[in-house]
Amino acid sequence: MTTLLDVSGLHVALGHGRKRTGILHGVDLTVASGEIVGLIGETGSGKTTLARAVLGLVRAGSGTVAIDGRQVGGLRGGALRASRRGGAVQYVFQDPLRSLDPERTVLDTLVEGLAVRGGHDRAGLREAAEQVARLVSLPLGLLPRHPGELSGGQRQRVAIGRAIAVDPRLLICDEPVSALDASTRITILELLLRLRESRGLGVLLITHDLGSLGGVADRVVVLYHGRVVETGTVEEIFLAPRHPYTRLLVASVPSIRDERPPDPGLRRALRDEVRASAGGRPW
Amino acid sequence: MTTITGALRTRAGVIAATVLAAVLLLAVSGPFLAPYDPLENSAEILRPPGAAHWFGTDYLGRDVLSRVLAGAPTSVFTAFEAVGIGLVIGVVPGVTSVYLGRAYEWITLRIMDGLIALPFLIFAIAVAALLGNAVHQAMIAVGILLAPSFYRVTRAAALSHANAQYVTAARLFGASTWWVLRTHVWSKILPALVVATANATAGGLLIVSSLTFLGIGVVPPEPTWGGIVASGLGYLAQVPYGPVFPSLFIMATVGALNLLADAIRDTSGDHGRARALSRTGARRVRLT
Amino acid sequence: MSVSPDAATAVRAPARAVRDEVLLSVRGLRVGVADGSEVVHGVDLDIPRGSAVGLVGESGSGKTLTCRAVLGLLPVGVEVTGGEIRLRGTDLTALPAAARARLRGTELAAVFQDPASYLNPSITVGAQLAEVLRVKAGLGRRAARQRAVELLQAMGLHRPEHVYAQHPFELSGGMLQRVLIAMSISAGPELLIADEATTALDVTVQAEVLELLNDLRRDRGLTLVVVSHDLAVISQTCDTVYVFRDGGIVEAGPTRRVLRAPRHPYTRELIGNHERFGIDRVREQGSGR
Repeated sequence: MTTLLDVSGLHVALGHGRKRTGILHGVDLTVASGEIVGLIGETGSGKTTLARAVLGLVRAGSGTVAIDGRQVGGLRGGALRASRRGGAVQYVFQDPLRSLDPERTVLDTLVEGLAVRGGHDRAGLREAAEQVARLVSLPLGLLPRHPGELSGGQRQRVAIGRAIAVDPRLLICDEPVSALDASTRITILELLLRLRESRGLGVLLITHDLGSLGGVADRVVVLYHGRVVETGTVEEIFLAPRHPYTRLLVASVPSIRDERPPDPGLRRALRDEVRASAGGRPW
Repeated sequence: MTTITGALRTRAGVIAATVLAAVLLLAVSGPFLAPYDPLENSAEILRPPGAAHWFGTDYLGRDVLSRVLAGAPTSVFTAFEAVGIGLVIGVVPGVTSVYLGRAYEWITLRIMDGLIALPFLIFAIAVAALLGNAVHQAMIAVGILLAPSFYRVTRAAALSHANAQYVTAARLFGASTWWVLRTHVWSKILPALVVATANATAGGLLIVSSLTFLGIGVVPPEPTWGGIVASGLGYLAQVPYGPVFPSLFIMATVGALNLLADAIRDTSGDHGRARALSRTGARRVRLT
Repeated sequence: MSVSPDAATAVRAPARAVRDEVLLSVRGLRVGVADGSEVVHGVDLDIPRGSAVGLVGESGSGKTLTCRAVLGLLPVGVEVTGGEIRLRGTDLTALPAAARARLRGTELAAVFQDPASYLNPSITVGAQLAEVLRVKAGLGRRAARQRAVELLQAMGLHRPEHVYAQHPFELSGGMLQRVLIAMSISAGPELLIADEATTALDVTVQAEVLELLNDLRRDRGLTLVVVSHDLAVISQTCDTVYVFRDGGIVEAGPTRRVLRAPRHPYTRELIGNHERFGIDRVREQGSGR
């Protein structure tokens, strides 16, 4: 297992002038090859900004981002494009419908990365698309279709296929299943597990739903107001959380084994503790 | 192209296309169909319509039908010329304003705002005075004034897709701006652009008619639809229906273009998608 | 498709003394689309006064359309084609539209997934809540304002006067959902339908909103219908559950019984899906060690 992604001391601020606000305050994070790391945080915790910083879509204030041992933070223009054509890291969006071009066929979408890179003729691209489709269990009959004609699960397979087609080492998935039904969710998560197995893919799985990481992630990183407050294995986080925010999260996840809601008193106490630890920040 | 073929499946689209096809045919073959020489004077002045002269004759005894037919190419193709010029100087900055940085965006926006503020006819007359009173100079003036609407339409369409997730996905593959424009943005702009072009052509035709009515761009006795209306107006007392025939051609062409624009707008974009869904996919939409 | 719910054996005792009185009863409800197809095929529901009933199923299972039929808010082109919806014995399907509109807010109310889309972004949330109070509860201007602030406080919002003067974009999703709940119960309805009301919220906020719903039920005797795709949410709020699939009910009964000893294969599949990934799986493995 080699370290694929190494984020260290990452600070990111967004906005201009007086409206500039710090989003990430010194985040450290690693993902090794073949590892699935869950990044959990609530709305506004900075989890999507972290992903965008890793992808070079927002500029880091300070700190470093290394992918496969190569610093990617300072790249601009043509150098950035050339680095991206290498395809070491790819991104899967939350909403598969909006992340697919409605006017382009499944085939064109699946091999867009290869087409951008160049060096394939029409037949070569078609063959590559079929290969990817098989990898993500998409029926080949769907290749000439448009996204509007697919189900939610099929769309997300296309989105994952598009990312996988350029053979990335690291996949960043931003809430990849939260727009999907439970049964579809499972097939997509199983697909990620399979890809991890077969290609040693490292996955950074971003979610607001701690519960969804059980059985999927190897490690969990808890992000709260732009800071990593706890890191541990899924078992450690779920069964023995240490930081009050993590404990609050775990206490808030509903379970089908309890008929009563998580103890309100406990949650209130934890919330006060979190607030105190965040320096009186409003909840 | 699917939006246009879709529009041709509606009744309004079929009517508009039929009329426009007839007008185009006239514009190409009109001068050859003319039964008389459109410039030939005769002693039979201001005759009412009849078997010899279907639309009657004008104050110099010229056959009005022949003048309308002979004037078709100038009237129609000059409108196309103006729209073509407007397309080029509107669309290119419209699309690029979204991608080429803030300074460029600001400058193009201000230029287009400036053009919008110019009054149409006065600008055209001024250009004719400056560059000489000929049809191409007049069309350059009209084209420049049509450009802002193309600029606005394409910029709005490009802007709404510039930050789409699939564009981000393409950028993460290392795609260039040109790739993004070609594969993702262009197809989203096209329907809006076709509608704007149809509308602008209708507007262009009216402007060309107005200018030729005023004698700008085309010098008499060369026949144009606007010029024929103008010459008819002088003899309303003798031939009250004189301007009706050329006006009918102008109205039919402009009306058909506007009808086509409406039909395309109704069958394309979000509007069209909603319509198509309400017809075929009602169930799926409503269940979600 | 009609499975009679063994509601009498429901686990938790509701606050109200009137125990077994049925508030809302749906019999053989059929919903059809204009093109002639049917999307809800004969649904039976019994919702006792003061109870909390869960409707669970995947998208397209008919749970939301059933609720909308009860509210009289079906989308254009979709209508009730058969069956009865009885509120305290009165068949709602026989009522004219105006009478049904009057029932909404005063007898039946609902909150949905995306609270922001139900509020006018340019008017303060307090003014919008006060407007509901004036129209639906007939309060005067000053009384409506006072009552609105009280309601916001009762929804667990801190500094209710401050919240009153905020615009929707200034509030978080959880706060907006509380405002929406305040609006929906402001005219004193007996039945509140929460359709995926916590789905888009963060898990800590979801827990708080579910707690609020439980409190409202306990303190005000509100009858709850909770619609969700999440079995765990249903498990924690409802004493009876109906499992929807393809426009019909495949299983119904006390939540504990249905979740612990599911009878229908589809229910077993749903539970299996839930346990394949999730916190319950880790917890089970942890406790098994």
